[in-house]
Amino acid sequence: MLGSYHTQILERSMDAANLRHKTITNNLANIDTPQFKSQQVVFEEYLQQEISGLHGQQKLEAYRTSDRHIPFANAGGFAMPQIVSNPNNFVQNNGNDVDLESEETELAKNQIWYSGLTQLTAGSYQKIRSVIDGGGK
Amino acid sequence: MSLFQGINTSASALTANRLRLDTIASNIANAETTRANFANGVWQPYKRKMVELSPKSSESFDNLLQAAVGNISGKNGDQGVRVTSIKEDETPFKRVFDPSHPDADKDGYVLMPNVDMMKEMVDMISASRSYEANITALNASKNMMMKALEIR
Repeated sequence: MLGSYHTQILERSMDAANLRHKTITNNLANIDTPQFKSQQVVFEEYLQQEISGLHGQQKLEAYRTSDRHIPFANAGGFAMPQIVSNPNNFVQNNGNDVDLESEETELAKNQIWYSGLTQLTAGSYQKIRSVIDGGGK
Repeated sequence: MSLFQGINTSASALTANRLRLDTIASNIANAETTRANFANGVWQPYKRKMVELSPKSSESFDNLLQAAVGNISGKNGDQGVRVTSIKEDETPFKRVFDPSHPDADKDGYVLMPNVDMMKEMVDMISASRSYEANITALNASKNMMMKALEIR
């Protein structure tokens, strides 16, 4: 219950938001560095694939008798954030392709997403606490 | 994964941009300086200085560890920016005709610094905008950390 799948998804999403924040911060730090290529974090698509794989079609699971067995298909393969370069950005004269406006909007979006995730996480712990208290308060 | 890394990255950019602004201020202040250094018995005018930036190396322990345990895949972002060196602009000095100037040569010409006020102004606006953008990122880091502390 405490380490439920729901909490795990929240945890990984917050990690991804964290990584995205670091990437955006780094892009902004290097906004005047010649030849710097900006990077972005892809996560939601992979998470969506994982979730739809769980609830949509039946996923094939192989029985593993040992931890050292290779997981079957992508069973147990968690969606992890990927850092990719940004191929569509306009490259300026100094070889730098950081787009200030898009980085700032991504920063704001990511911040809101992160606070949403913290509220959801806090809410899930609040539920557990009310169960422990027996709803007595 | 530490969120402090975001603050450190922004801090490195703030330092770099502050240094850029300082260098520009020095260039503007010395736009008329004809006696910057004494070489071979003659005074040399001030040379315009420029800050050279490069991304910080991604070969830090944290990056390598996170990649090794598979927390992140793909190349992790280099963290922050650093000033590699302060270069001197080697464009020729301006020759100004002013026979009454104490540093005038026998033809009445004075060598003036190779500082171009237009370039300095454009660089200054660019540096100060970058500084502001990184302040925004720093505030975002702080807000996110405060939000994470609200989980209880």
